[in-house]
Amino acid sequence: MYDEIAMVAGNRALTGGHFILSVRSSRQAQAARPGQFAMIRLLGHSDVLLRRPMSIYDVKPDPSETGGSVQPAASTAGLGPLALLEFLYKAVGRGTELMATLREGDEVGLLGPLGHGFFAEDYLAEAHQSDEVLHVAGGIGIAALLLPARELAQAGVRQRLFFGGRARADLVGVDEFAPYVTETALATEDGSSGHRGYVTAAFEEYLSGRAGKRLLILACGPWAMLEATVKLAERYGQRCLVSMENRMGCALGVCLGCCIRVHGEGHGAYERVCTEGPVFWADHVVWGADSLPKT
Amino acid sequence: MSSQNRNSELLVSRPEPRTPNAESRAPAFAPKMQVNIAGVEFQNPVLTASGTFGYGQEFAQLIDLNRLGGICVKGISADPMPGNPPPRIYETESGMLNAIGLQNVGAKRFLEEKLPFLRTLRARCVVNVFGYSTEDYVRCLDILNAGEGIDAYELNISCPNTRCGGMVYGSDPKLTEEVVAASKRVARFPLFVKLSPNVTDIAVFARAAEAAGADALTLVNTFVGMCIDVETRAPRISNVTAGLSGPAIKPLALRLVHQAARAVRIPIIGIGGIASAEDAIEFLIVGAQAVQVGTANFYAPDTALRVADGIAAYCRRKEIDLHQLVGSLKLPQDSTAS
Repeated sequence: MYDEIAMVAGNRALTGGHFILSVRSSRQAQAARPGQFAMIRLLGHSDVLLRRPMSIYDVKPDPSETGGSVQPAASTAGLGPLALLEFLYKAVGRGTELMATLREGDEVGLLGPLGHGFFAEDYLAEAHQSDEVLHVAGGIGIAALLLPARELAQAGVRQRLFFGGRARADLVGVDEFAPYVTETALATEDGSSGHRGYVTAAFEEYLSGRAGKRLLILACGPWAMLEATVKLAERYGQRCLVSMENRMGCALGVCLGCCIRVHGEGHGAYERVCTEGPVFWADHVVWGADSLPKT
Repeated sequence: MSSQNRNSELLVSRPEPRTPNAESRAPAFAPKMQVNIAGVEFQNPVLTASGTFGYGQEFAQLIDLNRLGGICVKGISADPMPGNPPPRIYETESGMLNAIGLQNVGAKRFLEEKLPFLRTLRARCVVNVFGYSTEDYVRCLDILNAGEGIDAYELNISCPNTRCGGMVYGSDPKLTEEVVAASKRVARFPLFVKLSPNVTDIAVFARAAEAAGADALTLVNTFVGMCIDVETRAPRISNVTAGLSGPAIKPLALRLVHQAARAVRIPIIGIGGIASAEDAIEFLIVGAQAVQVGTANFYAPDTALRVADGIAAYCRRKEIDLHQLVGSLKLPQDSTAS
């Protein structure tokens, strides 16, 4: 974990109010592991106090040092050390709207890498024993899944992506994901791309046709989508890892603001998304309205 | 590694006044920054506030903990507590609401797992204590009294976020006296009492705590507030009401410290929205002998160190020791402020 002032290398607008913020920090880029996150602090805005938690979407060499365009790291081995962290985000509130105004050369506070991500020692063995890993992403949740997908692809694991959003413009990052999966199923609520409806419908259709197969599910997205995904995984007897989101005060494990309800008694009833998470085994989390973090 | 902060306050970066032939004269004035509160010697007047700094160790990678005046640990109860359901926090303009519900590991585990690290530090260890009844407070202190390396207790009678928690004691002067007196009887270490700002007359509560034997006062805890999601019309925090902290509350807290300082003789530790040395110096000027940094720890972990350095730089520039700064408020002659 490092706490530093880092230089913005770019802030690219995508469709639907999404952006990719690129920040220079060699040591954080090199330390980052799949599923981890960082806290970004907007400097010079005393009304926006708290740092914002952001999944580490990608890590790359710095093109200004390698002299070429940036390619996914898997295909750029030898093109220089990792030096950039990328954050895929949607401008939805005061913090992210201000973030969208950042330009190359601006500075941000960057604390990371943080949290217990999709750490290989926890799930790679499980992935190898599975016939296939299924990624289920809702909207900006895709940001937590690209690095694990790359790691799994390098390990030779067969993968598939189920990706849903409100409209076509919300389905960002599909092309970046494509090299790592055999197939991608898209879903939009307005039917502008892929299946009309929720992504969990396409996911269930696939699950129901894979009886007897051993699957591992990695999911990230809004609470309702996660809850539906977890229920389906349970119904079809498949193991599931979820990357959780919550409002965070510190991400250092001290404010206890990001706690979610887990299966545990007394003091063990809540765990910190920032420290014990953000990735949890789905059957460890208590789902249901009472434990809903209304983010 | 220490984190940089480009938002460092003016007081740190302001150039030292130059005197002719400064280099050839006596070395620059070195102000005394130590402060003694109820027999506890702090190397500087800046502490980190309870609930914002864990048990210290969480920040060991980020700042030099040995340069802090003191660390007030997360509130400890006799028994472990699970805390409130989420959502527990919400950011507001220049502040934040929280209703964590005092989740903590309990006094026994604190002694076993957290205290051994804290007692290796030069920073003083202040243990924040809370309960639901006078018996709870006494029982918690009984357990903690066995701890080696505790420098003082901070009795939390002001948390707004537990169903019938400390706040009940902090909003009734008779109960304040009762719990402070009972705690003072058993406490093996000096007893600081952390007061609530959510009262009509802070002086009444400050005097009640003093009369009951408090060795010092910490003020203030968070202001009770709330926030609504207009789309769902539901509160932003599961507890409905929550404690407001951060720079937004600083002027409110300062006024209360000012009034309390004029009401009692025991030392006061000022807290409420401190994010810079200038903020801290304001609290010292109205009469606080030391300060605590709270919410700022969340977004700028080096704040307490910058504040301590900034106070020292200010004292050097003014050629005064810390104690000369405390209570040096210059009120207008015809002022009726009280």
